[in-house]
Amino acid sequence: MSATILENLYSELDIAVFATSENDLFTCITTPPSWLLHFYPTINKGSHLSQHELPDFLQHFVFDAEDHWQRKQKGQLKSGLWMEEGSAGSEYLLEATAILVDDDRLLLLNVIDQDHSNRQEKQLMRDNLLTQEKLELEVHRRTQQIREREEEIAIKLIAAAGKRDEETGAHIRRIGLYSAEMAKELSWPQLLIDDIKLAAPMHDIGKIGIPDNILQKPGRLTEAEFEIMKGHASIGGDMLAGSDIPMLNLASVIANGHHEKWDGTGYPNGLKAEEIPEAARIVAIVDVYDALVHKRVYKAAFPEAEALAIMDEMAINHLDPSLYRLFISIIDKIREIKDQNQDDEI
Amino acid sequence: MIQKKICLLGAFAVGKTSLIKRFVESIFSDKYLTTIGVKINKKTLSVSGQDINLMIWDLEGEDDYTKINTSYLRGAAGYILVADGTRPETLNTALSIHTLVQDLLGNIPAVLAINKADIEDQWLISSESIDNIDKNLTVIKTSAKSGANVELLFSTLSHNMLPIEE
Repeated sequence: MSATILENLYSELDIAVFATSENDLFTCITTPPSWLLHFYPTINKGSHLSQHELPDFLQHFVFDAEDHWQRKQKGQLKSGLWMEEGSAGSEYLLEATAILVDDDRLLLLNVIDQDHSNRQEKQLMRDNLLTQEKLELEVHRRTQQIREREEEIAIKLIAAAGKRDEETGAHIRRIGLYSAEMAKELSWPQLLIDDIKLAAPMHDIGKIGIPDNILQKPGRLTEAEFEIMKGHASIGGDMLAGSDIPMLNLASVIANGHHEKWDGTGYPNGLKAEEIPEAARIVAIVDVYDALVHKRVYKAAFPEAEALAIMDEMAINHLDPSLYRLFISIIDKIREIKDQNQDDEI
Repeated sequence: MIQKKICLLGAFAVGKTSLIKRFVESIFSDKYLTTIGVKINKKTLSVSGQDINLMIWDLEGEDDYTKINTSYLRGAAGYILVADGTRPETLNTALSIHTLVQDLLGNIPAVLAINKADIEDQWLISSESIDNIDKNLTVIKTSAKSGANVELLFSTLSHNMLPIEE
């Protein structure tokens, strides 16, 4: 290919080509394209530039280029894009390529995206990504708001249902929070953690179906009375069952299963060990804890150490021993929830 | 005079270029103009009685389609990670980049800037998330818009890059 054709080719491609040798001078071997004159107004074909006259980015790239040439690597080494400001203040997006042709060490410089179409496309893409992000955050915020409203409504209704015995709003709230903390520690998906936070407080909703004389009896229940009282588990389970709402289905499972016992001696179905749904096993533990450390009409509040000693015994047969160990491992968080959600009257 | 190369890294549109413009030119614009590739700015500042000529590499931000060109990081003496307080995912991006750079360059000085402190009431990055950040990483709340802590950001990194006198 003749030199003229090559010259014309470089001109068409708007490329500046520099050749360098071991003396660190860069010689321009093509007619400088117009854009290069914005950086070097007096440059001509044959002009030399020393390394420190190169733009800062190129000085950095030349370090890698030297390595490429010295190792006689085949192919091109590209610098990546960089933005350089010309003498008139306008910006140019440039790219350099180091290449070894025979033994000639060449540095090709070219302008990328002269018409800015690439840049505009990228700007549009990122503007759209930002808008999408904002929309997603707004959806999340509003969903969270709706969730919080539902939670508040549910807590108020459950507390109203529990007014007949000692199910205070704070107790109900604590059961939800304890259960959510356990679920989090078990690495449940966040959606399910949110669900159990709302579902767990409903575990005793079946007490609506228990007569006052039994529910509010201050003393020990007779065998017959206890049998009636036991009915609250399946009453609650039935009340909450059959919904399309996953949270309510979870609440149904919890209501039905929170009096089952690890050794199979619980009620209503005598389920044993892992036959008992995990959510019910969680609530069984936190409900016992909360009852023990708070005052009831039939007892004073136990100090925590005493409550846990009682629960240690229960973990042999009645509570899931593995979940109980998990509960103990997060007892600091449980205690914090207890302290931050103290009993009050609605 | 000491010369140090530093890089600004982070997700796209967190304010890397704005922080640099505030620091170097004392200007700010609300208009978001995305950076392509890298742009180098320079500023000299005085730290502990020494003049440091900072070569500030403003790298294109990361998005789902664009990751850091690690060749740009070579020779960096320190770096600034930037997150946007109103966009929680940008903190995760900044911390991922921190891990990447540490693997590549070792334990060179770094500072994390959580930008847009002028609208901190609208932040979605929680105090808890910030408290959970590795204590070895200095965190500074900045605002390129108001200028708050921008000088502090660059001077803190510069100070950390100075050799320790025996």
